Amino acid sequence: MSLKYNYKKTIRLFLYGVAVLVMIILLVGVLNLVFLFVGTFAYINMDTNYIYGGTVMEALTLTENGYVLSEEMEQEFAEQNQWAMLLDETGQVIWSIRKPEELKEIYTQSDIARMTRYYLNGYPVQLRVWEDRIMVVGLQKDAVWKYNLEFPIAWMEFIKRIWWYYFLINFTWIVVLAFFFTRRYTRKREQARIEWISGVSHDIRTPLSVVMGYADTLEHDEELSAETRQQAAMIRHQSVVMKELIADLNLTSQLEYSMQTPRREKVRPAEVIRNIAAEFLNDSLPEQLEIDAQIAPGAEGVCVKADRQLFMRIFRNLINNSLKHSGQEDIVKIQISMWQEKGKCRIRYADNGVGYSEEILRGLCSRKKDTSGNAIHGLQIVKKIILAHGGKIRFGNCEEGGSYCLMEIRRERG
Amino acid sequence: MHINEYKILLVDDEKTLREMVCGFLQRAGFHKVITAADCREARERFHKEAPHLVLLDVMLPDGDGFSLFEDLQKDSEVPVIFLSARDEDENRLRGLGLGADDYITKPFLPEELILRVKAVLKRVYRAKDMREEELVVLGACRVDMGSGVVYWHREADISIEETDTEVTLTAKEYAILQKLAQERGRIVTIDALCDAVWQEENYGYENTLIVHIRRLREKIEEDPSHPKYLLTVRGLGYRLI
Repeated sequence: MSLKYNYKKTIRLFLYGVAVLVMIILLVGVLNLVFLFVGTFAYINMDTNYIYGGTVMEALTLTENGYVLSEEMEQEFAEQNQWAMLLDETGQVIWSIRKPEELKEIYTQSDIARMTRYYLNGYPVQLRVWEDRIMVVGLQKDAVWKYNLEFPIAWMEFIKRIWWYYFLINFTWIVVLAFFFTRRYTRKREQARIEWISGVSHDIRTPLSVVMGYADTLEHDEELSAETRQQAAMIRHQSVVMKELIADLNLTSQLEYSMQTPRREKVRPAEVIRNIAAEFLNDSLPEQLEIDAQIAPGAEGVCVKADRQLFMRIFRNLINNSLKHSGQEDIVKIQISMWQEKGKCRIRYADNGVGYSEEILRGLCSRKKDTSGNAIHGLQIVKKIILAHGGKIRFGNCEEGGSYCLMEIRRERG
Repeated sequence: MHINEYKILLVDDEKTLREMVCGFLQRAGFHKVITAADCREARERFHKEAPHLVLLDVMLPDGDGFSLFEDLQKDSEVPVIFLSARDEDENRLRGLGLGADDYITKPFLPEELILRVKAVLKRVYRAKDMREEELVVLGACRVDMGSGVVYWHREADISIEETDTEVTLTAKEYAILQKLAQERGRIVTIDALCDAVWQEENYGYENTLIVHIRRLREKIEEDPSHPKYLLTVRGLGYRLI
């Protein structure tokens, strides 16, 4: 069973995320522009039909009685509620239509200069130079918003220079956003998988309790034949194996994701080593197993931050592995030594067995996950536990026979 | 109170498992076992029957064992042993310090269950019938665990008369011997012994432990420098055989 983390899929998901975000932002930008420009023009064209200086001049003719505006134009001025006036070179009003009464009859150069840029007494106006005269076409107050924009060239140059950074910042922002979305999504998926596995193992455990319980009862039933009892013993034994497998599967699925940080508490490795050694020695015959636990002077009080249950698991798995791969008659000799070095707590575990096979070593040393094809291998779990605690681990075979495992984990100060 | 007078309430939604565990308990001498399949029934039976111990599954169809436990603890101090089918519960059971007396992870072997049940009953009710051997016999030496007095009966020389002597154990020596006697034949690590003697944070007491062990040997061993009963297990701890 492989619980391989699907990197390709996650990366693809992330790239999709980036693409979608870029597209959304572009689309929103384009829509904004379209709305602003097209919308403004469309509005102007639809609802209003302002009169401009040019058209007025065309409709204006000079007669003996002064300037005369065409009737259509006059009507239009009324409809649009606009007004106009014509100034001569001295600033004197020589013709006007619907001119608000509050406005003057003569304008100085400064008046004209001001009204070209802003408003005339609050009336928005447009100016058009006609030979030596000026045509002023105005609207009612608050009909139009006008504003003059002006930027120093230096500033514009600066904008031009930082434009790329600006773009870069925006892009980074998109990437980061996509990253968070992806992570959230994959986390959810991972969580779902962990829960699923945990659910499945839960469902298996209850029926397995019944199998184990009754097998044990049959094994101890004096009325049954020795053979039947032997068979019952095997069922019981195999159900214990299954129990271990389920626990390993569950643990593997949780350790698979390094973000699943283990519970941290102060653990004294020396104490754990003795505890586990005693546990195994108590449950085995003296001619089966020897454990030599050597704690270097000064390493006795060394503490690490770790999940105590997981830390115990390391030694249980290592010893179980040594026991599993030894011959029936051989005595398994295990040596666990612990010392401290450069602020690190180091533990060396060694046995006198046949050593690790090439295949297992390759699987354990590989940076890739699960190359052994056996993700719930006890030693893989050992490796994962150490890695999850930010430690280092190395497996190998001793020259004089047997295998070893060297672990290093940061020691806790104080 | 005799063992078969203790009433045990077993709460688990799985009928087969209930029947099996009932069988185990009855075979072990617990004749008053009552069962419940869910929280509602468990509450009902608990109030009606007032059991001495509750075996409680963590996952029940109408709620979880943790909240039921809190409910039950509100008006009684009944000991509870959790039955759990998930490793995740283990952290919660240990971490939260709910005050549960013990927990067993499924699947379990019958003897494991019975041992835990007896241990909890022993601890909570100090049941006489289940108390460990009152007398620890180490060859010619007998230690009365009730009083902590060591009695010696030496096969006397005819020339000397009675050679029965009495020595009293100190509290620390008593605690060490009690722990070793409880696990007689098994290795008890120095850490476990320190825990038994000093309870709280006890790192650094190892040397003091050695001193106490030596004094204990002087009281219970015929030849303290060549102990026959309280053996040292190099690098790990001690064992009483």
